[in-house]
Amino acid sequence: MSEFRKQHPVAGVTQVIDSIKQNFITLLIVLFIGSSNTEGYFLYFLAAGLVISLFGGIFGWWFFRFRIFEDELQIEKGIFVKKKLYLSKDRIQVIDITEGILQRLFGLVKVEVKTAGGGTETATISAITREEAEELRTELRKRNNGNSNHFEDLEEGQEKKDQILSIWKLSTKDLVYAAFTSGNFGLIASILGAVSGQLSEMINEENIRFIYQIMPGYSDVTIYVALIFAIIVVSWLLSFLGVIFTYSDFRLHKTEEELIITRGLFEKKHITVPYDRIQAVRFVEGVIRQPFGYGMIYVESAGFDQNQKGRSIVLAPYISARAVSSFLNEFLTEYEEPEYGFKPPKKALFRYIRRPNYFLLLLIPVLWYFLNRGWLSLMLIPVLTILGWMRYKDAAVGFNNDILRMRYRTISRTTAIMKKNRIQAVDLSQNPFQIRKGLVNFSATAASGAGGMNFGVEDLGNEDSFRIYDWVAGEKNIGRQHEGEEQNGTVT
Amino acid sequence: MNQEPASRIHKNAIKAWTVNALLFGLLWFIPAIFYAGIAISQNFNNETPWYNGIDWPLFLSLFLIALILYIMMAWVLPNLRWKRWKYEVSDNGIDMLRGIIIKKRTVIPINRVQHVDTRQGPVYRKFELASVAISTAATTHEIPALDNETADELRNTISMLVRKVKSDV
Repeated sequence: MSEFRKQHPVAGVTQVIDSIKQNFITLLIVLFIGSSNTEGYFLYFLAAGLVISLFGGIFGWWFFRFRIFEDELQIEKGIFVKKKLYLSKDRIQVIDITEGILQRLFGLVKVEVKTAGGGTETATISAITREEAEELRTELRKRNNGNSNHFEDLEEGQEKKDQILSIWKLSTKDLVYAAFTSGNFGLIASILGAVSGQLSEMINEENIRFIYQIMPGYSDVTIYVALIFAIIVVSWLLSFLGVIFTYSDFRLHKTEEELIITRGLFEKKHITVPYDRIQAVRFVEGVIRQPFGYGMIYVESAGFDQNQKGRSIVLAPYISARAVSSFLNEFLTEYEEPEYGFKPPKKALFRYIRRPNYFLLLLIPVLWYFLNRGWLSLMLIPVLTILGWMRYKDAAVGFNNDILRMRYRTISRTTAIMKKNRIQAVDLSQNPFQIRKGLVNFSATAASGAGGMNFGVEDLGNEDSFRIYDWVAGEKNIGRQHEGEEQNGTVT
Repeated sequence: MNQEPASRIHKNAIKAWTVNALLFGLLWFIPAIFYAGIAISQNFNNETPWYNGIDWPLFLSLFLIALILYIMMAWVLPNLRWKRWKYEVSDNGIDMLRGIIIKKRTVIPINRVQHVDTRQGPVYRKFELASVAISTAATTHEIPALDNETADELRNTISMLVRKVKSDV
């Protein structure tokens, strides 16, 4: 691969599609505004834009070339501004291979090569044949020891490294269950928010009269409820389909040095996660899933992509809480599960119950004043009280020699496991009331993507939290293995 | 219970923060000035005297709020902040205690430190102070207002400790 190569011509088209995708919202707005205001002139603008991006795509493909030369992946591209991107082999952390819908039609794949931190960018080769991609991958992962006599040994070693040690699959049944229980409250809330912006325009007298005519005998409250219900159903459907598309054919492979995930219905993704990049493991039990005893496993991975704030990778989209231990044993051997030794004391219970209710102090008066049956919002009190009580029940911390394990609930319940030598910082904080009561909020930060991710338990006892603090701060020889390898690439 | 960290930051920090707050605190007065400007300009061509356009209670309350904030920021908070700030660097980690109302304690294990740098703004330079910023893969923490020598020394100590831990492997 020491000669420069070109991508498959389809790359030109994928670039056009990408630019349409990126400007999708702008396009929609232009379409809406344009169609109402002018007499079709905007269509010419749109067509012109499309032609320009098409030419951009074609020339972009024409000028794009790549090769592996000595220790580097070299990419040269750019129509007007020439850009040369050289990534050295031993800085490369992750090679992701994706089969988009378009690529699949031609038997092609997209390759993304990511390096560790420090403002580097991702090298993307958007369309090459699968064979080429595989060749590229093996070529890039060959560690260059500079000794050609050992070439065969290396080859053998590589094969051994690539050997699949164990596999985890998501069964079709579980996929459907996962999709059913995926009700995403964040999504619902954001759709509600987006719609409520439009609501004031929809609710004028004409519309209301119209609705009254087709649905006689309904009050405005029922209409609101129906509307909210409809939104929930639609967003649930969306997240249902989202899960089916994303996690169809989900496979997790374990090799000696990395975890490999393949997934996707129309767009096939191939994600590699080296063990030494893993910063923390999370088991998240959503409100709908928890009663069935199921949840989702994520890992946090650090470094490579400066655009991504956090990088959470799904290791198991739907897994029984009982199976988590054996899953960890098999795929993340070093992540043990120490017993929970610390829980918030009894005196913290009332604070836990109070906390989620605080914002009602603001909300209820407003609703009561402005809405017809605003006092109905009082019904939120028991709901949030139960939430507070559940948070109290769930909060727990435990550690052994190398592992910190924390469990807490915001709405979903999260169990986070991190190695001691992966903890970036530990924070204890106390407001004056907590100082008086001898309670402390505890949180630990892990690196994720280009930023950090916080895991925290509220209102632990003073003594307890300092014991955990000392465990991190106090002992000598924190973290022996892995440190060198992991840090060499990223530090200073 | 756990001991508090040993070292305090430099006493001049209070003065430096006060000067800083006196400079930047002027921003608090913007709403009052802005409002007065608009009110006067709207009343500009009228026969009535210029000050009639201003709603004095509103203006005064805006002004008072700004003044209170200004005084708090300049003379009350720096003292409280200095009193709370303590730090300690050992070969295990960097231990920091801070916060004005909320008491915050942070430890950064030494082997997680990615780089350390000292920083000095114009006000700090005037008082011969510098702060030390410690970055990990996830966060950046700053120990503010040490005198120049201490800051340099601390930076060197930390980077020496980091090197030691890492070559230990």
